[in-house]
Amino acid sequence: MYSTVIIDKDTLRALGLKHLMERYFDTQLVIVQELRELDSNDISPSALFFTSPQCYIAFQDFFIPRRSRTVILTSDNLTDIATLDPRTDESSIIENLNSIISERAIEKSRPHNELSQREIDVLRLVAMGYINKEIADELSISFNTVLTHRKNITAKLGIRSVSGLGFYAMMNGYISESDIRR
Amino acid sequence: MALIQANTHLSDVILSEPGIIPVINRFGILLGTGDSTVSEICGKHGLDIEFFLTILNTYINEEYFPEKILKSFCASTIVTYLQKTYASYLHFQLPNIERHFHLLIERSGTNNNLGLMLKFFNELKQDLTDRIAFDNEQWFPSILSAGKGKPTDTHGTVDAWDSTTIEDKLNDLKSMFVIHLSGSYDLNLCHGVIVALITLEKDIRQNDRIRDRILIPIHRSITNSNSQS
Repeated sequence: MYSTVIIDKDTLRALGLKHLMERYFDTQLVIVQELRELDSNDISPSALFFTSPQCYIAFQDFFIPRRSRTVILTSDNLTDIATLDPRTDESSIIENLNSIISERAIEKSRPHNELSQREIDVLRLVAMGYINKEIADELSISFNTVLTHRKNITAKLGIRSVSGLGFYAMMNGYISESDIRR
Repeated sequence: MALIQANTHLSDVILSEPGIIPVINRFGILLGTGDSTVSEICGKHGLDIEFFLTILNTYINEEYFPEKILKSFCASTIVTYLQKTYASYLHFQLPNIERHFHLLIERSGTNNNLGLMLKFFNELKQDLTDRIAFDNEQWFPSILSAGKGKPTDTHGTVDAWDSTTIEDKLNDLKSMFVIHLSGSYDLNLCHGVIVALITLEKDIRQNDRIRDRILIPIHRSITNSNSQS
């Protein structure tokens, strides 16, 4: 999923912007010369669009609904829409990009990392050495639900291995060492 | 960093990427490189310059992984490099982490988490040591004898172990430190342990790429061509 889209026929300008965005803002970015090259399935619903004034005018039907997330590459001061002056110096461009991005708070797909009670139940059983099927039986939930919980636990804790989860569970008092089946 | 070339000064590389110090050590190169270029140093140490450059470049740029070039090296060159890498894990990197970990626990009072994390470290150390022993004693000899066209009946069925468990556990231990550590601890020693773990993790990730994506396919193709002839 791209969170930044540059639609610009000026390839060097687009590449310069791409370089700055990737270097300073950690974004998934795609460059196209024409709007029709875009595949909307690849674009995040909250994506930020950079484009030339010409392209903006030519494709108003596309840009007007996305006006709050569109930035026009121009030295002119426009009202109601964000602009980025490509002719100013590098530091000013970076500062300008920074304020554009922080105002729009580009989404970061980071889950809230506190475990739910159900996830703790699953974690305890994983840590004790139960396999997925046994966990499903024990908690009377489906096998797929167990898999979903496990995926979420790993994403929240940053811990993937069964034995890592076991140690995490012990560190947090969810189980004691004697609970582990060997 | 830009790709390293034969005429790059090795000291410039080390200054900008100090993480490669253990890697160059494996090739027998020590610090104090003066203003020698990569090609001068390779000449002095009798190293295959193409191989040395490829290893350094793939180590520094994680996105850079030239499979074709890597597969063009002789299996024994890659095996020798991996053996040296393993020796450096066993004799330097693992003991170094262990020493700092013990000191960290000693100087951190009653932090129960650290004791459990050390246990987890010992478990992953055992996994890694077992895999190294297997590679050194069974898998590498099987590749080398297959490479010489010897009959494969003694070692032919030896298959490489999966490397994901060790990488996962190293990642998990890092998360335990960075995300989940609680209680009081010695800041300085903790930093030492984390940096050493992250260095080892990156090193293992890079070497597993060479092991899994280069050496395993080379081994399979040698074994297949031997069994067909």
